[in-house]
Amino acid sequence: MTTLPPPTGGAPTETTDVVGPTRSPASPPTAAVPPKSRRPTGQFRDVWRRYRRNKLALIGLGIVGLLVFLAIFEPFLTPYSPFEQNLLNTTAPPGNGHVFGTDVLGRDMLSAVIYGAKLAVIVGVVTVLASLLVGVTLGAIAGFAGGAIDAVIARVTDTFLAFPLLIGAILIVRTFGAGILPVIVALAIFGWTTAARLMRGQTLALRENEYVEAARSIGATNSRILTRHILPNAIAPVLVYSFTSIGVVVVAMASLSYLGVGVPADIPEWGRMISQANAFLRVPGKSHLWVFPSLAIVLTTLGFAFVADGLRDALDPKLRGRD
Amino acid sequence: MTRSKAGLTAVAMTAVVGLVLTGCAQQSNQGVPGGDAAAQPAVGFPETEDFPETPGKPGGVFRLGISEPTAIDPFNAQESEGIGVTEALFTGLVQVEPDGEVVPGAATDWSANADCSVWTFNLAQGATFHNGEPVDAASFKRGWERAAAPESGSEVSYHLDVIQGYTEYQAGTATEITGVNATNPAQIAVTLAKPDCEYELRTNHPVYSPVPTVVGATTDTAYTDAPIGNGPFKLDGPWQHDTGIKLTRFDEYSVGEPAYLDGAEFTILPSANAAQLEYDGFVNGQFDWARMPPTLLKLARETYEPQGKWLSKIANGMNYLTVAGTKAPMDSADARKAVSLAIDRNAIVQGVLQGSTTPASSLVPSLFPDAYQKDVCGACRYDVEEAKRLAASAGLVPGTELSFQFNTGGGHEEWTAAVRQQLETNLGLKVTYTGLPFTDLLNNQGAPEATGIFRSAWGADYPTPGNFLIPLLATSSIGATPTEPVTGNNYGRYSNPEFDEFVLKASASQDEAERNELWKQAEKIAIGDDQALIPLWARQQFRLVATDKFANTNMNFNENPTLETITLK
Amino acid sequence: MGKFILRRAAQALLVIIGATLLVFLANFAFGDPFGSTGDRQVPPAIAAANRAAFGLDQPLPLQYLTYMGNLFTGDLGVDYNQNRPVIELLIETVPNTARLALVAIVIDIFIGVTAGIIAAVKRYSFADVLVTVVSTLAIGIPTFVIGFVLVATLSGVGPFPTVPRSFTVEVPWYTEVLLPAFALAIVDAAFVARLMRGSMLEVLRSDYIRTARAKGLSERKVIGKHALRNSMIPVITYIGVSLGGLLGGAIITEGIFQYPGVGYLLFRAIGANNAPVITAVVIFSVLAIVVLSLIVDILYAYLDPRIRLS
Repeated sequence: MTTLPPPTGGAPTETTDVVGPTRSPASPPTAAVPPKSRRPTGQFRDVWRRYRRNKLALIGLGIVGLLVFLAIFEPFLTPYSPFEQNLLNTTAPPGNGHVFGTDVLGRDMLSAVIYGAKLAVIVGVVTVLASLLVGVTLGAIAGFAGGAIDAVIARVTDTFLAFPLLIGAILIVRTFGAGILPVIVALAIFGWTTAARLMRGQTLALRENEYVEAARSIGATNSRILTRHILPNAIAPVLVYSFTSIGVVVVAMASLSYLGVGVPADIPEWGRMISQANAFLRVPGKSHLWVFPSLAIVLTTLGFAFVADGLRDALDPKLRGRD
Repeated sequence: MTRSKAGLTAVAMTAVVGLVLTGCAQQSNQGVPGGDAAAQPAVGFPETEDFPETPGKPGGVFRLGISEPTAIDPFNAQESEGIGVTEALFTGLVQVEPDGEVVPGAATDWSANADCSVWTFNLAQGATFHNGEPVDAASFKRGWERAAAPESGSEVSYHLDVIQGYTEYQAGTATEITGVNATNPAQIAVTLAKPDCEYELRTNHPVYSPVPTVVGATTDTAYTDAPIGNGPFKLDGPWQHDTGIKLTRFDEYSVGEPAYLDGAEFTILPSANAAQLEYDGFVNGQFDWARMPPTLLKLARETYEPQGKWLSKIANGMNYLTVAGTKAPMDSADARKAVSLAIDRNAIVQGVLQGSTTPASSLVPSLFPDAYQKDVCGACRYDVEEAKRLAASAGLVPGTELSFQFNTGGGHEEWTAAVRQQLETNLGLKVTYTGLPFTDLLNNQGAPEATGIFRSAWGADYPTPGNFLIPLLATSSIGATPTEPVTGNNYGRYSNPEFDEFVLKASASQDEAERNELWKQAEKIAIGDDQALIPLWARQQFRLVATDKFANTNMNFNENPTLETITLK
Repeated sequence: MGKFILRRAAQALLVIIGATLLVFLANFAFGDPFGSTGDRQVPPAIAAANRAAFGLDQPLPLQYLTYMGNLFTGDLGVDYNQNRPVIELLIETVPNTARLALVAIVIDIFIGVTAGIIAAVKRYSFADVLVTVVSTLAIGIPTFVIGFVLVATLSGVGPFPTVPRSFTVEVPWYTEVLLPAFALAIVDAAFVARLMRGSMLEVLRSDYIRTARAKGLSERKVIGKHALRNSMIPVITYIGVSLGGLLGGAIITEGIFQYPGVGYLLFRAIGANNAPVITAVVIFSVLAIVVLSLIVDILYAYLDPRIRLS
């Protein structure tokens, strides 16, 4: 539909309960990040320097770092096996050797939450990477080629965009069975659209730049122009958006688990743990069942959102304010 | 420079941390907190006494929550929510008390001939439908033929299939069910194609209800949403789908005592979390009768039993594992017994099911005291050594693949995961564990190439042990050759001529004591010797009841409240 | 302008057709609704008869064409359980969802826009940080958690209706709609706040604002008259799309609050494998999103000539 310049505030979302990626709000086209004439290392250092100044962004980076650490070293960090059930000691409050208590099957909550972090990171990153791959490719092609190709891709994008995420995910998981892979596929299939739109907008804006004309005049092929010139400069807002959407994917996965559609029940996943705790919501002394996984989800989303915000501020000089 | 040094340090730190942590072993997550597991705690919740009979006084509206019924019109009422409404609207030939005793309903008395092939029911005089029409033999015949008609779309008419002439009528080659004789309005005579000495129990099913002459076609939704019956309650407005059903007392009820309640309100809740909502509704005072999710049973009991609002009753059903006993690896009794012995029912009932049932040691439940044999299933206890021994002798070696399937959406994920873990730990089996939609599970169970074990549950339709043994274990209940899918309910394809002989003799016996003896012998063969299926735990029902406002609130045979006796306190 | 509208409308139609095809193809994933009832298997002959009655024995492409044909005459089929026309079910529930959506959007705008403006105008102040942190927090909490907590704490308290409740209890629509609208609005308001803040920040730095200030206009006029109007554009776009999404029904929220809207209908239909209802609701929801996006696009093109001419 409309040309899409980069989003300037907040993360775009779809407002059914499952927060999922959707069309970005339009705003007056700001200039794309001008091409740097220095070498890449200098560029990174500049960005990092600007990033560092933002306290919230640093906090976010810390959180993300912690999550990645948990994900990688999960086998060593969990005091118990996250899968081991102890049916004689279910829903025990914190204490007695279980720092976070035990869940409805007697699994240690701390270990389960750590394992959930691993799952969140893996599913979040893989889903977003997959979405990026598809979205960036299609968006770039659409923006660059224009005309009929653009129209077709845009219609396909709109179709997937308009389709409610939850239904689509349920349909996919019902067809392919429960498991981590179907969940990733489901979330990615409905998640690539916004990346595509962003990329398309960026490509459209950059297509007319002088250096593209210059490259063409010396005989560069279209694909070379796309990959060498447009892509690196257009990718910035898409990357920013992707970071936020990792958090969004984690929430979406939790919502799917709440509806019983998602990773299989015997795998500890934050959303599944919250839905299992549903019955105990009004029971005193059992709040550990849902508080810890909820905190985990919130922290994760916060972390990625802060990083995304910081990245955006650091990459776009205009938004820095008066420094 | 500073940069790369920082980077190196970070990597080094991570490595060190990793190495240190590898040294830390993971703790074991077993054992009872603060005690040793040597003493096996008592499992299960005891049954509660029936509430004492209190003289009734008119008044009060009884409110409860149900999930959307499939039908309330008797031609198709099937699950307990639908039947709960239907049995309030209709009274059949006989009625069954909560303890299983059969008492007169619309029929004052009945008798069978010598070989139980012809049954005669004498009808009460002066009874009417809610619209004033008289209830006579023709009303019953009309209702039965309406359900059995080929175009009716009834999914429960098979309860009528023992009547002579049913098959022809169902096929469309006859214009009536010839075995039903309603020429005498005060008497209905039924000739059976298959003699059954317990036939009167079948007539308790709602499909045997009478219908008035103004009955609508089964496809007439305006009628089926507001059927006219002969029971102690009538409808106050049609069934509001997905919203609720309102009943009000039928003052001219003459077959039994008129009801005391002014009416009843069934609020329809989404099936996904109906139990949770019923419980929440009870807690906030909106419902007077409620189920609860299994995870809350312990808490509910602790909170409400002291207040006398807790109801616990073993019901007419059984939870078990169907075993594909004609194919490897479960094709020997020893293998089946080994699996049964390797399951720690106590731990699962206690831990996962929150004590919400009693581990089973038989197929026929304790609801039938004269036919119940505790521990007839010798392998229904937990004995890992014995399990291993039997497994070895049956060739069920560690590493053998065993398929375990269950239905999703029924809250079985957790306990089946526990069973799987026990089988893997205790017998070293490789369990392929799959959750499927219910229909797919049934299809898989009945397929000729089915192997392994399947989660199953059976709710009996009639209050007799025969309704467990015959449908689940008789050869006639397979209804297929080994290369065809099972069409009956004997999914395990168990076939033992000795067993068949015993149950046949029992069905043909008019003497209840003799029947019970024969059921017992049959069960001993199928479960005790052959382990045809693996009983897990009883079907036990729990309810919360607003006994501060109402009395006589018992649970009937269909697991519904006895609306006809409930009264305000 | 007219050509633009026509072009966009045609594209919208294509999208709707594409989405309906998708959902129709996926119908078979819902399994056979007639095969079993609770614990018993339905006799195969009867199940087959029921399937035939709903045309399920036809090949899939034929089913799709029949369905699309019926769609144009307003016949959305008949649901599997009660033989009620699906269109009736929708007519009952859509007004409820519409009310919920509108109330949610109003709360949304109120909280989100105000917070966003404050954060932007007082940048780097405590208020700004508060808004940023709280809005990010709100995005991170799954809506169903918010819903649960609200039900657990506020059901039956004060004006809020008891959840769950007996169906005969009369509840006026304005109290019934409050809690679910609030649950939905919280997350949305967070996005709106962030959007508003970013947009306003950008606008406040632009040349014409500097000119307005240089002209000597009061800060209130600068912000209220000039900055606000221009920074609202992306917010309006977002809200339009959001409204479209809400109209499609918030499944989980409506389920938690037992709110009789389109999402609740879908929630129950999914549990019962009731394909006609699922298809109808999905089509309706796609329609809502597409139509609202179309309106927003047209509005936006009207406001910004550069887009119109692209």
